[in-house]
Amino acid sequence: MAAITLQGVTKRYGQVTAVQALDLAIREGEFMVLLGPSGCGKTTTLNMIAGLEDISAGTLLFDTKDVTRLPPHQREVAMVFQSYALYPNKTVAENIAFPLKLRRVPQAEIDRALAEVAEQLELTPLLGRRPHQLSGGQRQRVALGRAIVRHPSVFLMDEPLSNLDATLRLSMRSLIKRLHHSLKATFVYVTHDQAEALTLADRIAVMQGGVIQQLDTPEGIYERPANTFVASFLGSPQINLLRQGLPRPAWVPAGQPVIIGLRPEDVAHPREGLTTLGGRVELVSPLGSETQLELALPEATLTLRVPKDWRVREGEALEIGIDPARLHVFDAATERRLAP
Amino acid sequence: MARRLMLALFSALFVLYVAGPVLWLLSSSLQMESEITAVPPNWLPPHPGLHNFTAIFTAGDSAEYANRGIAGFLPSGAANLLPSLYNSLKVGLWVAALNLVFSLTAAYAIAVIDFKGRRATLYTVLATRVIPDIALVVPLFLVIRNLGLINSIGALVVTYLAITVPFTIFILISYFEGIPRDLYRACRIDGCGHWGALRHVYLPLSLPALVAALMFAFLTSWNEFLFALVLTQNVAAQTLPIIIAGFVMDFTTSFSFVNAAGVIAILPPVLLAILFQRYIVSGLTAGAVKG
Ligand SMILES: Nc1ncnc2c1ncn2[C@@H]1O[C@H](COP(=O)(O)OP(=O)(O)O)[C@@H](O)[C@H]1O
Ligand SMILES: [Mg+2]
Repeated sequence: MAAITLQGVTKRYGQVTAVQALDLAIREGEFMVLLGPSGCGKTTTLNMIAGLEDISAGTLLFDTKDVTRLPPHQREVAMVFQSYALYPNKTVAENIAFPLKLRRVPQAEIDRALAEVAEQLELTPLLGRRPHQLSGGQRQRVALGRAIVRHPSVFLMDEPLSNLDATLRLSMRSLIKRLHHSLKATFVYVTHDQAEALTLADRIAVMQGGVIQQLDTPEGIYERPANTFVASFLGSPQINLLRQGLPRPAWVPAGQPVIIGLRPEDVAHPREGLTTLGGRVELVSPLGSETQLELALPEATLTLRVPKDWRVREGEALEIGIDPARLHVFDAATERRLAP
Repeated sequence: MARRLMLALFSALFVLYVAGPVLWLLSSSLQMESEITAVPPNWLPPHPGLHNFTAIFTAGDSAEYANRGIAGFLPSGAANLLPSLYNSLKVGLWVAALNLVFSLTAAYAIAVIDFKGRRATLYTVLATRVIPDIALVVPLFLVIRNLGLINSIGALVVTYLAITVPFTIFILISYFEGIPRDLYRACRIDGCGHWGALRHVYLPLSLPALVAALMFAFLTSWNEFLFALVLTQNVAAQTLPIIIAGFVMDFTTSFSFVNAAGVIAILPPVLLAILFQRYIVSGLTAGAVKG
């Protein structure tokens, strides 16, 4: 019903190229997350899919239909904005019903749809209020309601949770996930929050500088980052990337300059089959179930996350075991992933 | 304490300075000609009465004209006062209404739609107001004459639109730019075209600016003198300022009558201001304080 295909889609603002020849095929019913740091062109990409920004070059298809030049109100997409963008002069009910009103849906049907959405999003007691009388989380639910009331086949969200506090963000995250399951629509979700991306996405497109760096499932992105940017953008704390100090896997050609990456959690007690490294514990930060520490090796310092029963103490010596198969190897010049 | 006293004192002085002439206008409009010219002046009317107003509203009526000695000297153009009041109202309302239509659509296009040459359009519109009016009088006269509009209300409406629309476009653009762009985006996504976005987002959210623009357009045409003087030649199209100014240039000037006419002239703007007062303050400063 609504696969979205971007072919060489480019957006230029004068001299600035915000999005550079983007190729992306979003499958029908997929939850696609565009992930990247601020200014990498996520919003611009989303706005081009919505029709809110003109496309400078390239083609945009909904299924097989070319919508490159179609104005937004003819594309039948729904969108949720970071700023909520509720009409301040309308009540909650009027906000949610507005897309239906514009489509001249009969009033009885509007009432029924409104009641259903309000029920689903727990907005029923708030229907008579105006946006300024709502909390942030309530506003975001109204914005969601306005989007889902139309039963759109394409759902666009631009950092919808970034103005909410941490607890609310978690509950909204699962609400969005449930919506995706029940609506069976194609979701394109923009965020700079890697945790959000990893939990929500079917596939993630990691962007930087207006270019997609990697397109893969959350596991694929995390386990096999395509380059050092993707490797360090996902994971908390960041992956350790070192030119020396970590063991080179046996398959890496001798003499080739490489960057070796080690995820902080990919360590164990030394045992058979692991490479053993020894160093001094420098900084210990308990995180509850785990402990984060900095381990000073002869040539480098590693950030590690270990189970709390390791009972490490600052100043002590510590030996760790590393599985060479779990090391990430990147070409030192191109910073691209190398694989055996 | 002393500071507040000083503040109150200077405020009072300032109010007196601004309101004094208006109060004197009001007071003298209720006095007889002889009472106005008395020395020392009568600050308050000794025998307040509406005789001057009666004279204005019956100036066309010959029976009352015979009694002119009571109210003072009726100026020769007195009978034109009511028709000119009507002309002024007509011109003002037409200008205000058409101004809103033109500036609303133009401001929307310039502020919201990203078309090629939008900067150039804005600067061109604004540049037309850099030229002083006096320099435009002759060319405008020729244009209006060639259009066959001399001495018609239409001549004034067209001219006043040319004066007011650039300013109101500017007021509305700066207000529109303060309205969050995401509201426009949401509206487009929800199914609005440009007319829909104008109607559902920009119109309802810019009421203060719209009222300010309306007031500005009406007041400008209500007060305008220079173009009205040149473009209209008789009572068919002359507006209040022209007629009232004519009273003073008369052979003998009747102050009581001029003052009463003055009170009538300030009445419509004052009524308008009272009607819209809750919008005005926010409207006049709109765009000015928003970063
Ligand atoms: N209207 C605009 N005019 C000029 N440059 C813009 C405009 N909008 C965005 N950009 C630029 O395009 C790039 C991408 O912006 P955006 O898509 O908003 O990034 P993101 O949403 O990933 O933070 C940025 O460098 C930004 O400065
Ligand atoms: Mg953004």
